[in-house]
Order: sequence, then structure tokens, then C-alpha cells
Amino acid sequence: MKKLLCLIFLFMASCASLGQPVNPSKSGSGNFTLEYPEEWRKVTTGEYLMITRDGAFSQYILVQQRHVNRPFSHTKKSIDKGMLPQEAAQVILDEMTSDRAILNLQILENLPAAVNGYNGFRLVFTYQIKGGHKFKTLYYGFLQGEWFYSLRYNAADSRYSDKDVETFRQVLESFKITAA
Amino acid sequence: MNRIRYSLFLLLISFFAACCSTTPPPSLEGELNVAEDERRLWQRAAQEQALLEGSGIIYREPALEAYLHQIAEKLQPLEVREKYNFRIRLLRDPYLNAFAFPNGVIYLHTGILSRLDNEAQLAALLAHEMTHCTHRHALRAFKGLKNENNLVLSLKQTVARIASTGDLLNLFGNTASMAAINGYAQYFETEADLVGLQLMARAGYDPGEALRLFEHLKQELETENLEEPFFFATHPQLQKRIENCKGFLAKLKQPAAQGIRNKEVFLDKTYQVILYNASLDLKAGRFRAALRGAEKYLTIRKDDSKAYFLVGEILRQRGEAEDEFRAKVFYEKAIALDPSCPDPYKGIGLIYFKEGDWTLAKRSFESSLALSPHMRDRAYIQGYLLECDKRGIAQ
Repeated sequence: MKKLLCLIFLFMASCASLGQPVNPSKSGSGNFTLEYPEEWRKVTTGEYLMITRDGAFSQYILVQQRHVNRPFSHTKKSIDKGMLPQEAAQVILDEMTSDRAILNLQILENLPAAVNGYNGFRLVFTYQIKGGHKFKTLYYGFLQGEWFYSLRYNAADSRYSDKDVETFRQVLESFKITAA
Repeated sequence: MNRIRYSLFLLLISFFAACCSTTPPPSLEGELNVAEDERRLWQRAAQEQALLEGSGIIYREPALEAYLHQIAEKLQPLEVREKYNFRIRLLRDPYLNAFAFPNGVIYLHTGILSRLDNEAQLAALLAHEMTHCTHRHALRAFKGLKNENNLVLSLKQTVARIASTGDLLNLFGNTASMAAINGYAQYFETEADLVGLQLMARAGYDPGEALRLFEHLKQELETENLEEPFFFATHPQLQKRIENCKGFLAKLKQPAAQGIRNKEVFLDKTYQVILYNASLDLKAGRFRAALRGAEKYLTIRKDDSKAYFLVGEILRQRGEAEDEFRAKVFYEKAIALDPSCPDPYKGIGLIYFKEGDWTLAKRSFESSLALSPHMRDRAYIQGYLLECDKRGIAQ
């Protein structure tokens, strides 16, 4: 959660310095590429790619890749490359459950799902942070070789919209891994 | 900017110096605004408790809470209880910790409660925390430091090094009551240990159990290779406190064997939290601690299918040598005890599935779905069944 907040601040700083986006409709980060609408702006930092339309505290789409050996912050579990999607989903949920910055986590959906042909899982959950702010997240994850990929749409509960979910669906469909 | 950094550095140094100092603890005598400071401290404590109560991390079990209050009441005379109105709350947290807010609200992590052996050890823990309240350690700590923001900053620096505590600090926020979470300086902890021992002995408990609590938990920290939780990370460190405790016990001169321990009553009241905490340990990936908790539970409730299922889950998820074989044994025991529960079938099905035994995997998944057609993860199970059919035919 702290890293995510850092990303958000980094994003806001980059927005302030960039001004208007320069046609950033296709982007790559790490070893993946994806497409997104021009009105969304992005910040890329190594294994992360974050885009937003109105500001990260309103909504964002975050795409991450993490090596299976990289430990999580709150659970000592790790994602094993031989895991089934359901087992990987459980690790993600356990990481969130063990994170004290996430309050009142409610899992609304936990289903098998594919991201542009890659078999994985789909989670929908809501949570609160200190101060009572509530968020809703649509989260896709899958394992490919030694990498775990996650793509999530996160929005303040009051800003979660079908329009953004449709944008996220387009991002998912455009997602491609460029190297193993 | 450099001046600010230099000031912050000095403030930090002053905090650590205060913690390590052997000079007498700050006194409240002669202070004109003690009442006002204390009122503010209690007000802040109440605000933070409201945050905690709404955070979803409170473990609620009314019968257990009533039992905890009953023990707390035994430890303090009426006039003290009237002032502090002690309330004991449980936090869903597998780490070994307990802390007291200055207004008498004491939080025990499910992790520490589930590791205690008997009521006397619980009394030792509560008496220690109550002493932090009754001896106004939070207020005295502030008076000693003079500067509230300095304390908060210092606490953050100190606590950030302990993985399990950083999150809690973020949750609580930058307020005075953080002192209660991190523990207090050496003289306050020593005072709480000493007065706590006197309180439990006066209430008729075997004070020797306080020592056993320390030793038992130290052993667990070592064998589990755990990061030290706050209750023991405070000054003096655990070994020093054990030595202090031995010294206090020698002075008490009370025949230990005559004191109350109440092991059976304690375990009967706390067995549910033991199993619950084992599931928290599992989520946190602390497999050995989870296994120990579930096995402890099984010594109290020998025929509980839920506990056998949990042990199966711990072993399956840990995945060390022989774990999957052992997990199957525990799942089968859970099924034998309660054939109507779908979860052990699902667990055993996952093992067969990953082993490539499509026939047994299919049979297990079908059993779980038959028992619970609307189970939350039925979409996964249906996917496994399709895969079993496909792979089974291919063979």
C-alpha cells in the first residue's frame, strides 16, 4: 500500500511537470505492451505502469509484473510458478488481508479469468483506508513463466464507473507480453 | 532545510537518550497542567479507539470478552476500576503483542492470547498493561520528552524497523497514544513488570507464571525466528526482563505452587481464538506458527473437523517435502469427522489435480460441489472438472 501511495504521488508530480499528455496511446513497461485512450495519462517506473484520467485518487489502472521470487510485504507467502490461478489469487488476497493499511476488505468476486489469452483469475473487492475513504478494485492476475502479471482498475467507490471498466477491458484486450 | 534536519536529528537523539537513560523517570508532581494534558491524552485515545473499532480488525466474541474483563477486575481494587473503567479488546493480528491506551483500554492481539498457557499468564499480561495506565506512563513519557511531535517522530523511526508494527502505526496516525503501541522506556517497563507481579500475586495467581510467560514466548520467538513484537521489543529487552522478573519473584517469597493457574478454564474460554489465530498465521504465511496453533487447538478439541481441515490447508499451502501426503491424511480425517463439509474434499482434490491423478481429483471435486453447489469458488471447481475430463480422456 505504501508503494502504491508513492506511485500515486510520483504520478501526480509527473502530471504537474508534463502538462498535457503527448499522444501516449500505446505504451510498454518491463516486458509488456498495452494500449489505452489518449485522454488517460501515464507514469511508468520499471515494473509498474499506471494510467489515470482524472487523477490517481479518483481512478487509475495499474499494471505490474513481479518476479515469482520477489517477496510480498505483508504475507510471507510467495507466488510459485507452478501455482494454479486460484492459488495465486489466494496469495494476493492474503497479502491484502495481512496489510494493516487496508481496512474492511470485502471480496465480491473471485473467479477464473483470462487476460488476452493468458489464464489467470479475476477479483473484485472493496476496501477502506484510514480516514474512511472507500475504494473498489477490479483485479486480474496471471502467471507466465517466472513472472506474475497483475492489471487492476481501482477507483474511489463513488467514482467507479462502467465507462472506466470498459476502458480497462480495452486495456486488457490490448495487453501483450513482449519477452519471456 | 539543514537546520530543520539537524533539529530533527537532535530530537531523535533526545528520544533515544530518554529511553536508555538511567535517570529517574519524569514525575508529574508540581506540574500545573497535568489534568489538562491528561484530558487531551484521553481524548485522543478515545478518537483512535473509535478508528480501531470501525476498522474491521476487532475480534468479537462476547463470552471471551466477558471472561477477559472478569480477570481484569480481579486484578484491581474497586476505586482503581472506577477511575479507569478497564476494557479489554482483541485485535485480529497474529503477531505477539499487547498494548494499553492511557484511558484504560487494553488491546491484546489474538496472536499473544492464543499463545498463552493459562489464566495466570493472562493475568500477568493484563496486570502489566494495566500498570501502564494506572501509573500514567503515557503522560509521564510526554512530560519527559516535553515535545509531543518529537515523540511521535521518534516512535515512527523506531517502530518502522519492525515490519508488523509499521502498518499499525499508519492505522493509528500521528497521535499521542502511539506511545502505548511502541512500549515505554526502561523504567516504565520495569515498573509495569514489578507492579504487575504484585497485582497478580495479590489476586491469588501464581506469579511464577509471569516468568514462564516470558520464557515460553522467548523460546517461541527463537524457534520461529520471529521479529520481536512490541511487547518484548520494549526496553529492557526480553532477556533483561526475564532477569528482572526472577529478582522480583525472589523478593515476593510466595510459594508458587499455591497460586491459581486455571489452565482448563482458560483453554476452554480461548480455544476459538486459537483456531482463528492459526488461520491468520496461515494468511500471513507463518506456516510453522499456524501449525502450532492448530495443533494446540486439537489438544483442546480433539474431534473438530475444522481444525483437521486447517492443518491440511497449512500443509498443502506450505508444500514442503511430505507435506502433501500429510495434508491428505488431515483432509481425510476432517472428512471422516464431518462428511458434510465440502472444503476438505476440495483441498484433497487440488492435491490430486496437481499430481495429475485426474480420476481421484474429479471424484473429490464432484463431492465438494455436490455438498455445496453454490460454493464461492465453484467456477474454479467447474474448470478443474473440465480439465480432469480433458486430461483423463487424453490418457
